[in-house]
Amino acid sequence: MRLVVVGNGVAGVTAAMAVRARDPRAEITIISGESEYFFSRTALMYAYMDVMQRRDLEPHERKVYREQRLERRLDWVVDLDAGERTVRLMGGESLRYDRLLLATGSRGRRAEWERELDGVVRFVTLQDLDACERLTPGTRRAVVAGGGLIGVELVECLRHHRVPVTFLVREASYWPAALSAEEGAMVAAHLRAQGVDLRLETEIASLEGEGRVSGVTTRAGERIACEMVGVTIGVEPNIDWLRGVKTPPKLARGVVTDRAFRTSLPGVYAAGDCAEVAGRIEPLWYAAKRQGEAAARAMLGDTVEYTPPTDYNSAKFFHLEWTGVGETAAGPGRFRKLPGREASVRVIEREGVVVGFSMLGSRWNHRVLARWVEERRRVEEVVSRLPEAQYDGEFGRVAL
Amino acid sequence: MIRDRLYHDLTNRGVTGWVVAGLLVWFYVALYFTESLTPWAQRVGLSSKWDLYGLLYTVVVVVGGIGVIRKYGHNRYQVVRTAVVMFVQVVFAFSVPMLLKALHQPEYYLSYFWPLKFDYMNPEYLFAQPWPFVVYTLAASLVGVPLLGALFGKRWYCSWVCGCGGLANTAGEPWRHLSDKSSAAWRFERVSIHAVLGISLLLTALLFYSWFSGSKSPAVAQFQTWYGLVVGSILSGAVGTGLYPLGGTRVWCRFFCPMAALLGITQKAGKRFHIRVKEDMCISCGLCSKYCEMGIDVRTYAQRNESFTRASCVGCGICAEVCPRGVLRLENQSGLVQISGVSLS
Ligand SMILES: Cc1cc2nc3c(=O)[nH]c(=O)nc-3n(C[C@H](O)[C@H](O)[C@H](O)COP(=O)(O)OP(=O)(O)OC[C@H]3O[C@@H](n4cnc5c(N)ncnc54)[C@H](O)[C@@H]3O)c2cc1C
Ligand code: SF4
Repeated sequence: MRLVVVGNGVAGVTAAMAVRARDPRAEITIISGESEYFFSRTALMYAYMDVMQRRDLEPHERKVYREQRLERRLDWVVDLDAGERTVRLMGGESLRYDRLLLATGSRGRRAEWERELDGVVRFVTLQDLDACERLTPGTRRAVVAGGGLIGVELVECLRHHRVPVTFLVREASYWPAALSAEEGAMVAAHLRAQGVDLRLETEIASLEGEGRVSGVTTRAGERIACEMVGVTIGVEPNIDWLRGVKTPPKLARGVVTDRAFRTSLPGVYAAGDCAEVAGRIEPLWYAAKRQGEAAARAMLGDTVEYTPPTDYNSAKFFHLEWTGVGETAAGPGRFRKLPGREASVRVIEREGVVVGFSMLGSRWNHRVLARWVEERRRVEEVVSRLPEAQYDGEFGRVAL
Repeated sequence: MIRDRLYHDLTNRGVTGWVVAGLLVWFYVALYFTESLTPWAQRVGLSSKWDLYGLLYTVVVVVGGIGVIRKYGHNRYQVVRTAVVMFVQVVFAFSVPMLLKALHQPEYYLSYFWPLKFDYMNPEYLFAQPWPFVVYTLAASLVGVPLLGALFGKRWYCSWVCGCGGLANTAGEPWRHLSDKSSAAWRFERVSIHAVLGISLLLTALLFYSWFSGSKSPAVAQFQTWYGLVVGSILSGAVGTGLYPLGGTRVWCRFFCPMAALLGITQKAGKRFHIRVKEDMCISCGLCSKYCEMGIDVRTYAQRNESFTRASCVGCGICAEVCPRGVLRLENQSGLVQISGVSLS
C-alpha cells in the first residue's frame, strides 16, 4: 500500500504509525509545510514561555521516523486528483497514493475587523509562535481578543514575559461554552489576580495603525493603545485549500466523512480537526489521536464504526486546573465552592440523573466521572461517591 | 528582558552556564586535590576544608530549598519532601557530625549508608567503631535500605534523605531540565550504573576477604584508593555537581551512584511504587519529560496510557507537578502497575 498523509499533526502521524505497526511493507509519506517533524501544538505556549525549546515539543525521537520508515516532505499539498490518485506539492512533485489521509487540522478563525498589519497574531502554528517571539520585546501592551482556551494561553505567555495584557471577551461571563457563571467568575478573578486586564462583554470594532498595529477601538468606542493584537476567536477546519483542487471531496464545515473516515472520494480518508465525521467536528488533541488510530484501521480494511466517547476535556487557566466531563453547559447543576481554596465542584444533572461534571482547582479522574455519566447514576449517589474520582497528588487531596 | 536572557543563558548551556560549570569544577578540584581551601576554613573558625564544605553545602541546600518551597508552595508533596530533605541535611549531615567532632568523638553521618558511603562497610573501619554504630550501619545498609526501597520505591532515600539528591532538588532546581532524555542516554545509564555497583560490590567483597584472611594485598589497597578517587572524588563531586549547568543535576545519581543502582533494583522488584498515567488525557506537551531530572522520557509512557516504574525514578514528583492536565500521579501500592516488557528497564 502507498499511503500519503497530508498533515503531520497528531491525527496524521498517529495514523501513519498505526498503519506501519500492522503493515511492514507499506510505503508511507507524511507531508506538511509547517514543520519537518511532528510537534505538539498543545505545547506552543511552553515554547513561547521559554520553559521548553522547539525540539522539546517533538513527542518522538527523530530516529523513530527512520526506524519506522516514515518518509517526510516539508511542503504544502496544492492539488488532489482522485482520478489519477495523485497529490501535487507546491514544490512541483507529484505523489501517487492508494490511500490518502487528509489530516490538515484547524486554522485560527479570521475576524471581520482584521487588516494586514504587523503585530496582529494568531496562536496556532509554529510560524505564529515565531511572530509572537519576534514581536514581544517591542510590545508595551498587548490586546488579546477572544476568551477561549487558546486565548487564555496566549495571555499567560504574554504575562509570563511581563507584558501588560488587555483580554477582551465577548460574553458576559468567562467561557460560558463550558463554565457556569460562578465558575466564570472564579476564573475571571484568578486572571485578574495574575495582572490581566480582563474586560467582559467587550469586542474589537477596528484596528489602528499603519504597518504595525498601534491600537484597537472597541465597539463601545474605547481606544486601547497596543503593539500586539492576538486574534483567538476560535478555530475552524483547515479545508479552504481543498476548494480549488481538481477533484475536491465533499466539504461542509469540514471534510465530510462517514464513521469509517471515508470522504466522498475513493481511497481518500480524513481525520482529526479537519474532518466532519458523521456530522460532528471534535477539535481536540485526544480526539485527533483517537481518530488517527481508527482511520488507520479503516484504511487497512477493518470495519470501523467510529463513535466518540463521552465528552471530556481539561484545561488550565494560569494555575487553575479544570476538568470537564459530559454536558458541562447543560445547566448550573449542583455547584459548591470548596472552603478555603480556589476550587469548586459542579455536578450537572437532568431529572435527578447526572449528565456532567465541571471541576475547578483540583485534579480528577475523568474516566470515573465519565463512567458515572454513562451508567446514568443518580446525582445523590454520585455526590456521595465523589472522593472515588479524586486524583490529587500525595498529601494534596482536597477536602470536599 | 535582559534578566530573562541571562537566566536563559545560565540554564540552557549558554556562555554563563559554561562559566559557572567551570567554576564549580575548579572548586571541586581545589577541594579534593589541594589544601587551598584550608586557610579559608580556619578563617571562619573551622578546623578543616571538609567542615567548610559541609557548611557551604548545608547553606546552599537551605537557601535553595526555601526557593523550591516558594516555587511549589501549592503542592503539599513538594513542600513536605523539600522540608524533610533540608532537615536531614541540617541535622544528620551537618550538625550531628560537627557536634560529635566538637565532643572529640568520631564523626558519623547517619543519613549515609553503604554503598554510597563506601567506608561504612569496610570491615577494617567498621569493626573498629563502637557497637551501636556497627549495629546501625549493618541493619540500615543490609536490611533497612532494600526493605524500604521495595516498600516505598527508591524515593524514600534519593529524594527525601540523601544529600546528593538534596542538593539536586534544592539549589539544583534551575538546571533539572538539562538531563539527557535520549534513549541512547538510557542505554548508557543502564550499563554505567550497574558497572559501578558491580565494582563497589567486588571491592567490598575483597575487603572482607582480606579482613578475614588477615592479609591485605597491595592490589586491594590500590583498588580501594582508585575507587575513592574515581568514584568518590571525580564522579560524585567534580562531575556530579560541577556539571549541573551542563548535564543537569542528577548526573551522579543517574549514571554512577551504586546506592541508586541498588535502590533501583529493589524499586523494580518491589512493584509497589509506580507512576500512574490517567488514560487518554495526555496532550503530549512534554513538560514531564523536560523537567524529569533523571532523564526519563515520561511523555512516551503517558501518551501510550502506560503506568510505569522505572529503576531510575527518584520519585521527586515534579512530572506530576508540571503536567498541565493532571495526568500523572505517584502511587505506592501493589497490583496496579501494568507491566509491559518493553517499557521497563
Ligand atoms: C495553542 C493551542 C493549544 C491547544 N491546546 C489543546 C489542549 O490543551 N487540549 C486539546 O485537546 N486540544 C488542544 N488544542 C487543539 C489540538 O492541538 C488539535 O485538536 C490537534 O492538534 C489536531 O490535530 P490534527 O492532526 O487534526 O491537526 P494539526 O495538529 O493542526 O495538524 C495539521 C497539519 O497539517 C498541515 N497542513 C495543513 N494544510 C496542509 C497542506 N495543504 N499541505 C500540507 N500540510 C498541510 C499543517 O501544517 C499541520 O502541520 C490546542 C490547539 C492550539 C492551537
Ligand atoms: S506533562 Fe502531562 S500532558 Fe504533558 S506530556 Fe507529560 S503527561 Fe502528557
